[in-house]
Amino acid sequence: MGVFSESVEVVCNQAGQPMRLRWNGQDYEVQGEPLRWYERRQWWAEERRAPLGSGAGLVDHEIWRVQVGLQGNDGRGVSRSGLTLDLVRHVGSGRWRLLRIHDALRSNSSEPRTA
Amino acid sequence: MSFTHLHVSTAFSAHYGVSWPDELAQAAASHGATALACTDRDGLYGTVKHLKACMDAGVDPIVGVDLAVFDDDGDHRTQVAGRVVILAHGHTGGAGYRALCRLVSDAHARTSGKAGGVVPVAVTRAELASRTLHPETLKPVLTVLIGPQSDVGLAMGGRKYLRPRTLFKRWIDAMPPKTLATEIVTHLTPPGEALSTAHAVRMLKLAEEFGVPAVLSNAVRYVAEDGAPTADVLDAARTLKSLPELSAAPLLQPNGQAWLKSPEDMNQLGKEIMASAGYGARELTTLMANTEALADACRMDPVKDMGWKQPVVPEASVIGISGDPLVELTQRCEAGIGRRFPGISGEAERRMRSRLEHELRIIGNLGFASYFLTVAEVSRMIIGMGVRSAARGSGASSLVNYLIDVSHVDPLRHDLIFERFLSRDRSTLPDIDIDVESAERHNVYRKIFERFGAERVTLMSMQNGYRARGAVRDAGLALGMDEHEIGDIAKQLWRFSARKFREALEEKPELREFAGRVEHSGVEENHQLDLLVDLTERLDRLPRHISMHPCGVILGDVTLLDRTPVQPSGLGLPMSQFDKHDMDPMGMLKLDVLGVRMQSSMAFAVKEVVRIHGSKAEVTAAGKHPIQQDGKGPDFISDEGLIDLDAIPLDDEPTYELIRSTHTLGCFQIESPGQRELVGKMAPREFNDLIIDISLFRPGPMKSDMVRPFLEHRHGFAPEIYPHPDLKPWLKETHGVTVFHEQILRTFDVMTGCGLARADEFRRALGDEVKERKVEEFFRQGAKEKNYSPEVVDKVWTTIKAFGSFGFCKAHGAAFAVPTYQSAWLKAHHPEAFLAGLWEHDPGMYPKRLLVAEARRMGIPILPLDINKSQAEYRVEKVESGPGRGKLGIRLSLNGIYGLSGSELKRIVTGQPYDSLADLRTRARVSKPNIKRLAQLGAFDSLHRGTGSASNRADLVQHLQQLQNKPVRKGPEPLEGQLALPIGDVELANLASELPAPGMVENVRAELDLMAVDVSQHLMESHRPLLDRLGVTTADKLLGLRNGTEVLVAGVRVATQTPPMRGGRRVVFISVDDGTGCVDSVFFHEAQEKTGPLLFGTRLLLIRGTTRRTGPRGISLSASMAWDLSRIETLPFAESSQAAEFQLPGPLDGIERNLAITGLGS
Repeated sequence: MGVFSESVEVVCNQAGQPMRLRWNGQDYEVQGEPLRWYERRQWWAEERRAPLGSGAGLVDHEIWRVQVGLQGNDGRGVSRSGLTLDLVRHVGSGRWRLLRIHDALRSNSSEPRTA
Repeated sequence: MSFTHLHVSTAFSAHYGVSWPDELAQAAASHGATALACTDRDGLYGTVKHLKACMDAGVDPIVGVDLAVFDDDGDHRTQVAGRVVILAHGHTGGAGYRALCRLVSDAHARTSGKAGGVVPVAVTRAELASRTLHPETLKPVLTVLIGPQSDVGLAMGGRKYLRPRTLFKRWIDAMPPKTLATEIVTHLTPPGEALSTAHAVRMLKLAEEFGVPAVLSNAVRYVAEDGAPTADVLDAARTLKSLPELSAAPLLQPNGQAWLKSPEDMNQLGKEIMASAGYGARELTTLMANTEALADACRMDPVKDMGWKQPVVPEASVIGISGDPLVELTQRCEAGIGRRFPGISGEAERRMRSRLEHELRIIGNLGFASYFLTVAEVSRMIIGMGVRSAARGSGASSLVNYLIDVSHVDPLRHDLIFERFLSRDRSTLPDIDIDVESAERHNVYRKIFERFGAERVTLMSMQNGYRARGAVRDAGLALGMDEHEIGDIAKQLWRFSARKFREALEEKPELREFAGRVEHSGVEENHQLDLLVDLTERLDRLPRHISMHPCGVILGDVTLLDRTPVQPSGLGLPMSQFDKHDMDPMGMLKLDVLGVRMQSSMAFAVKEVVRIHGSKAEVTAAGKHPIQQDGKGPDFISDEGLIDLDAIPLDDEPTYELIRSTHTLGCFQIESPGQRELVGKMAPREFNDLIIDISLFRPGPMKSDMVRPFLEHRHGFAPEIYPHPDLKPWLKETHGVTVFHEQILRTFDVMTGCGLARADEFRRALGDEVKERKVEEFFRQGAKEKNYSPEVVDKVWTTIKAFGSFGFCKAHGAAFAVPTYQSAWLKAHHPEAFLAGLWEHDPGMYPKRLLVAEARRMGIPILPLDINKSQAEYRVEKVESGPGRGKLGIRLSLNGIYGLSGSELKRIVTGQPYDSLADLRTRARVSKPNIKRLAQLGAFDSLHRGTGSASNRADLVQHLQQLQNKPVRKGPEPLEGQLALPIGDVELANLASELPAPGMVENVRAELDLMAVDVSQHLMESHRPLLDRLGVTTADKLLGLRNGTEVLVAGVRVATQTPPMRGGRRVVFISVDDGTGCVDSVFFHEAQEKTGPLLFGTRLLLIRGTTRRTGPRGISLSASMAWDLSRIETLPFAESSQAAEFQLPGPLDGIERNLAITGLGS
């Protein structure tokens, strides 16, 4: 499993679930029901400040495990290959980053990346 | 949509919960909730605050507790198996709350009440089961929630399916039907981990399988997301581990989701659980309906279930009366008249009787007669024990209290107003405080338990919250910072709230160095310092633990323990989990029995006077007391020489002369630097002056500048001004300045005719913006109707507005002035016994060594430690030889020597006298290190000299050190009954003389090290050559200098104060002792800037400043700069080369003890 931290653009539905994402110049469509959880951060090592009232997102971050497929040029989803990604959403800023690409599926997915 | 949170820890779950009850209740109400639970860990610590918060927010309170349960398979004394939440059912006539209280008390019953006890707070499952049903109807009154923290929930980890099922089944078998529910929680942790949705699903299915209702909760620790990091720090503080350590364990909360989520959020969580379980809307509806059904069953009626605001006092039968308590009280007052007012008649009697009727009428209307009888009973009991006691506080305003011997101040004589204490407009039980000898306080408590029965009495507790120093230490611990570094930072934090740490960094000179380090970013260490500041601010005020309140005792009827949970205090006696703020809401009668060390000191002094003099004639002669016409001493001295302090006349001139001299160190209330200055300026001549002095020396009057005009009028520098002649009778004693609450009450009453009860209500409203405006309106209207001119009304209102909320209750002042006068009287007439009492009980604000220095200053011989003469207490002794021959001296006590245990001390004293070291070893069994310590302190000097040996103390210490290093060899034990031959001490006699005798510096250092007192010589004495070279002026010479003279002074720190000041800018007072007396110096802003970290960090100070004359007998110093005297190279010598001569170690070198020596802790 690779650990990344690349910026990703994510489009969500009204309930806040990721629908589509753009990564590495490619558009992907989320397939199936994504899985979401909150994971602890080592905030005392990663942050400079933790003042009262700094709000959400210091202690944990929101992780989404999504299966995505490459989107065709016409904008319609194609399910050529399944790719499982862990995305992290920073609760404070709402920004998304790619956290992990799961190995087992990654080998299958090398094709579209080089395509 | 509405959702009720049933599992919520407030900040009163010490080192666990983050948010205050009112924050939680307000948030719940804003979410549209109609009820909210408070389930603090291990107790009902936040319950009463929760009730109030819920009532204010308009939601129904639910009360419960989060408790550990003992492991049925493990050791029942120490092993717990998870935690459960227990909720009390409401609208049960109190049965649910009663069961909850008793259960919480059960959980604490086996604990020791001391820190670090091995027995955890927990209940057995059997105890839990036995409390869940109503004892008569056998209906459930408690519900137990089995959730993720229970043994069942904790067993969910891994893939074990059987274990949680077995454990759950055990609960079902053990508990009565319908007393269980399962608590379903998801904190949305990574799949499969604790508090994950997957675990919630498994719990839900378990509940379903066994037909136990499931409820949804969020196991709340904070009101909003922002509380999560604070919870992490609290986890660190609780477990004493750093965040990195906890995270690796892993022992931290898995993420930050434990906040009071909205109904929508909770519903969403429910949906996710159902989706994950493969269930649908129907099951979700059931889960939510179950939750609300349980919430409904647990809604509390504060009045009917918990006795909200209904005063409960002990049953009349317990205090020994069968009839109407008011009749009984009236009779006792009647009986008191003969005692308190012998021979009263005419107008005086009429006034007194009308006052008595007035008070009894109010007491009767409020139904408080049995309360007064209860207090009288306690008071009578204390007097019966022979313990000194005195009522303090507004209770002294009551004639009833005076007549039934609760108070010793005559309210008529001092114009004290009953309404200041109690009126028909106040429905809460008034406070009556009783001061007793501190050394007897615990015995008094035990006696109260005995007298009223353990079921009716418990001690009150107090909450100890984080303050700056504790907060920075625990924040540093959490960050894994170096302990010493944190200690150094903590030392510089001086009396500001942790919440303002960052602000303080910018302002306070002593923090400048630290602030600089925080500012310099980029380095790893500094990154931590920035976080340290933030985390310290987060911890501010959060409760750390409860402890025994210093004086509160709760008295109730036989149902007391149904209304408050109790736990063992450090003293062993049970202590309520409620604090003083919970008393009125819960209708609890609290008596303040305060241990006052000064009372013990004075009792000790009186006993020493009897012991040393033994007859009326001798005491009269020794104390220079007046001889009466019959040729005998005064009536307040008994034939045996016992002084009745409560009977001494209040017009003793030598006492006032002592007070005016400002040499009041050791005297109650008037020994502080500020008070010494004030008594010097004021020059008290009579008892009422002392009442005024004590009342003026309060933050309010000091802040609002009452003192200066008062002194000007008193000394006739400025004419007295009265706003209106009608007020003169009431303002005359303070020369027209309004000082007392009583005067405010009179002013309202005189100018509006409102009556004193309403006047007191008005006084209470002052300072409250909204209420004050109404009071002003009323006052202006009323005064206008009584034809006071607008100018007068304006003027008086300005005074009321400015002083009203600050003034002092004269009854307090009068009650305080009694021990003040008594202590000054003892110092004036029997200084040796008085100082011995002070050393023994250490009542004041200064380190003991200053009071030893005071004896030296007064020429009282300080007699060294002597193995055959020193006792377990300080003793007054007639000096038999040497320079002080014929005088009375004070012999040092064997108590308080570092390392010497209580049992060794006892054996030494029992076995006295000793003729040799061998004799001491055999009979007193003193350890080798302690024998050496005694030798270092010179305790064997007399024995040693007696042998005629040429060796000295250093030889002896070396010899003992060598013995200590040798392995233990058991010699033949002396046979029982065999007496040692009186051959003297061969060991001492044969000691070789090898070493030079220890110098004074070494001896004093040993004394400071082992006793925290410099005995042989004042510790500054050895610095004298240095001080002479620097041109330092001594304290005794200051008074001869002109105002505004620039001087250098030096000494050891004895007091450091930062009182609140007019204008808000901090002023630091530092007093140093140089052996000739105290120098009190004040550091204003600029001097603080220059002095920086030395302000609070040094023991020996050199201070430059200019003299300020404060009165005929008073002078102080306005400091401009200070140095650390032990850093010779930094001192302002005329030539820098001079520093080299003085690089000798002083007595304080190498001694770590700070608090005991300087009064400044670190």
